[in-house]
Amino acid sequence: MNDTMLGRFYRRAAGLGLLGTLGAVYVALIGIVERFEPRNIVTGYLTLGLLTAALVVFVTAYRATEPPHSWGIGPPPRQHVLGAGVLAAVIGAAGVALFLVLNRALPLDAVLVNANDRMSEILGLGLEFPAGALALLGAGLAFGVAAGGLRLLAPRFRGPLIAAVVAVMLVSLMEPFMRVVLLQLGQNAISGFFYQSGGLTVPGAIIVAGAVLAIGLANSLRGEAVRERVAEMPADQRRGIQIALFVVGIVFLLVLPQLIGSFLSEVVGTVGLYILMGLGLNIVVGYAGLLDLGYVAFFAIGAYATAILTSPVSVLGWGLSFWVAIPIVMLIAALSGLIIGAPVLRLRGDYLAIVTLGIGEIVRILLLSDALRPWTGGAQGILQVPPPEFADIDFFQPQNLYYPILAFVVLGAFVAISLANSRVGRAWNAMREDEDVAAATGINITNYKLLAFSLGAVFGCIAGAFLAVKLGSIFPHNLNLLVSITVLSLIILGGMGSIPGVIVGAFVLVGLPELLREFAEYRLLIYGAVLIVMMLWRPEGLIPSAQRKRELREHEDDEDQWAHQTGVPTAMPAVERPGP
Amino acid sequence: MPAGLTDGVEQATMTDAAADEVEPTRGAIMVVRSLTKRFGGLVANRNVDFDIPQRSIVSLIGPNGAGKTTFFNQLTGMLQPTEGEIEFNGVSIVGLGPHQIVELGVGRTFQNIRLFSDMTAMANVMVGRHSRMKSQWYEAILHLPRVREEEEATRQRARELLDLVGLARRYEDESAKNLPYGDQRRLEIARALASDPKLLLLDEPTAGMNPGETGRMTEFIGQLRRDLGISILLIEHDMKVVMGVSDRITVLDYGEKIAEGLPEEIRTNPQVIEAYLGKQAHA
Repeated sequence: MNDTMLGRFYRRAAGLGLLGTLGAVYVALIGIVERFEPRNIVTGYLTLGLLTAALVVFVTAYRATEPPHSWGIGPPPRQHVLGAGVLAAVIGAAGVALFLVLNRALPLDAVLVNANDRMSEILGLGLEFPAGALALLGAGLAFGVAAGGLRLLAPRFRGPLIAAVVAVMLVSLMEPFMRVVLLQLGQNAISGFFYQSGGLTVPGAIIVAGAVLAIGLANSLRGEAVRERVAEMPADQRRGIQIALFVVGIVFLLVLPQLIGSFLSEVVGTVGLYILMGLGLNIVVGYAGLLDLGYVAFFAIGAYATAILTSPVSVLGWGLSFWVAIPIVMLIAALSGLIIGAPVLRLRGDYLAIVTLGIGEIVRILLLSDALRPWTGGAQGILQVPPPEFADIDFFQPQNLYYPILAFVVLGAFVAISLANSRVGRAWNAMREDEDVAAATGINITNYKLLAFSLGAVFGCIAGAFLAVKLGSIFPHNLNLLVSITVLSLIILGGMGSIPGVIVGAFVLVGLPELLREFAEYRLLIYGAVLIVMMLWRPEGLIPSAQRKRELREHEDDEDQWAHQTGVPTAMPAVERPGP
Repeated sequence: MPAGLTDGVEQATMTDAAADEVEPTRGAIMVVRSLTKRFGGLVANRNVDFDIPQRSIVSLIGPNGAGKTTFFNQLTGMLQPTEGEIEFNGVSIVGLGPHQIVELGVGRTFQNIRLFSDMTAMANVMVGRHSRMKSQWYEAILHLPRVREEEEATRQRARELLDLVGLARRYEDESAKNLPYGDQRRLEIARALASDPKLLLLDEPTAGMNPGETGRMTEFIGQLRRDLGISILLIEHDMKVVMGVSDRITVLDYGEKIAEGLPEEIRTNPQVIEAYLGKQAHA
């Protein structure tokens, strides 16, 4: 280590501090800070508005403590790690304070409509002008120490700590959902203990953080031993545990709509549709590697086919039952997959993406067109799509419609898993890695591409069918580019090729925004931010498939090495891997 | 050098006859007649005639850019010839796709190793077995017993092949990209062998290897023919490998065949020395 290197380290920290300022000010100027202010995280202490700005500064400071790539042997000394964190955070906070001064001196809000007094008040930690700006500097110092300290912690402590903080935020944001569940269970006392004015109470936050921290620590300190013990258990005993977990999961899924009531069942139903689409697009993009940006086309075809077949006021006027219509819709779906797949067979990568993007738009415009108006009703769409009929169950109720959606999601996941682990999945995998070599290895590229497109189309069309019965009508404006982008984003967030990833991705990207109405306005912005952050931090997704994990392994080794170099023992000794 | 080229054709015809005397033909597994490949104005292969006898090891040599890999790619369906005929086991394969040619029994490796680098060694070989497997996608969804049996049999066969090429068991579940260089070459051969080829095309199998590894690979190629009874077509730069292992050698230069014959004939052929060995000697 020499002075040049240290200088570079601190210069980078200063730069990141400035970036923190820019980020925080940007978040404030686009109105997020003020708009999110009413939402409490820890009631009386922390609101979502302030948190978003603070997070930006904290994350940049934490990043500043990381040794740069050009760093030589060994980690930077502890005092410099702390120093870089403090420098970045203080510069970040000072920048925000400067912005507050500017905002006071100049009529910024003439141009920047969100730069009003309320925003200044929130950013100034609710204090009067000079005190607020000074308090910001103090907060910056505290953030810097926290960021440096977090970096110096061994990964086995750092992970649980971050998880605890994230858990407090999530549990707090889930307030509308948890409230209803607790209400249904008749647990008003518990609800009142944990939640107040839309956020966690202080004791509630402490309990949530403590619980997650304890679980996380137990996992990182003893998890390996427990997993080993489970692995050593006799097969039938292990099987017993698996079955028990499975049964608990099934029971939970079955009683869920009764617990969460009508509105949330509706939300979960929507999430279910996106899971179905995610599973389908995952076959096309995740397994076969064909980047399809026009997936909404299949969603649309499914929805309109169902509406035309089942609505008594459609052009056919057949008024078929949903259950009769569904197999026909699946057939139409498979055919549409072939028809759309065939012309794009020869395209690869970027070109495929552009053409499919165009196809998605063509389908939407066709639905609006005069030429198809007798069939699709143009902008007026198709009305009176009846719900499925089964016994006397009223499938207009979201709580009841949940069940057929769940059934198709389970079936879809089963199909996807079965395919992934078969000769077919292997062929797709090979095709994704290198199409020419896959062909030279004996794989019929044409067939496997068409198979992927067709199966993906069937999933998309079933989701579309449920959209039609869920809404009771169907209009072109439900079927825009945003659907394609959302489905692709949730796959990327969850992890390409990973089925649990699709489920988690759908809940995060589709479920959460439904619960957080404040987010609606910033939905696309947040999608963009989430995707960029994922690409930088965890390109393999939240729950990567085994395949992607293999691509990641080197990265984990780096982490171990860093812990090794700081002299802090890790839970697992770094294992020398056989390699070139 | 137009004059030299004409001489080359005559030379080739002559050595053809010579070769037939030395090694009685056992019927050719692959027959190529007047194969021509043009890329716009560039002629990559011109009127190449070429036979691969059953159970033989035939080498294709020539300076860089002589059109060897282009020739290879036409035999495997990755490129279609502009003119000419290619027959494998008496069936024309012109116009067939790569996967159909694999089904007929032609396997290949690549000059710059092209494994499915993020898949495990085992999965790579199992993909190679694809064309010999029968289970369909709907059978996989229904989890028919025969799907599992086939999967198990394939895994078994893949393991045998990994043993055959001498890849250590501990590498089985390792990503292909993490394997040492020499083992990647071996894995690529195992993948090609998984499709039960009757003819194996190896594109510079010893490129980038040290003398020790090269020696072992040469030995291994001979062993493959002995043990599996397959024919092998080799593209190779290393003269020691070519001379050591080949039954017959064909020399390409500027897309044309300038000579063909037994290793010792090629070694002494003045044209080859000028076109190929001579250049190398200067280099």
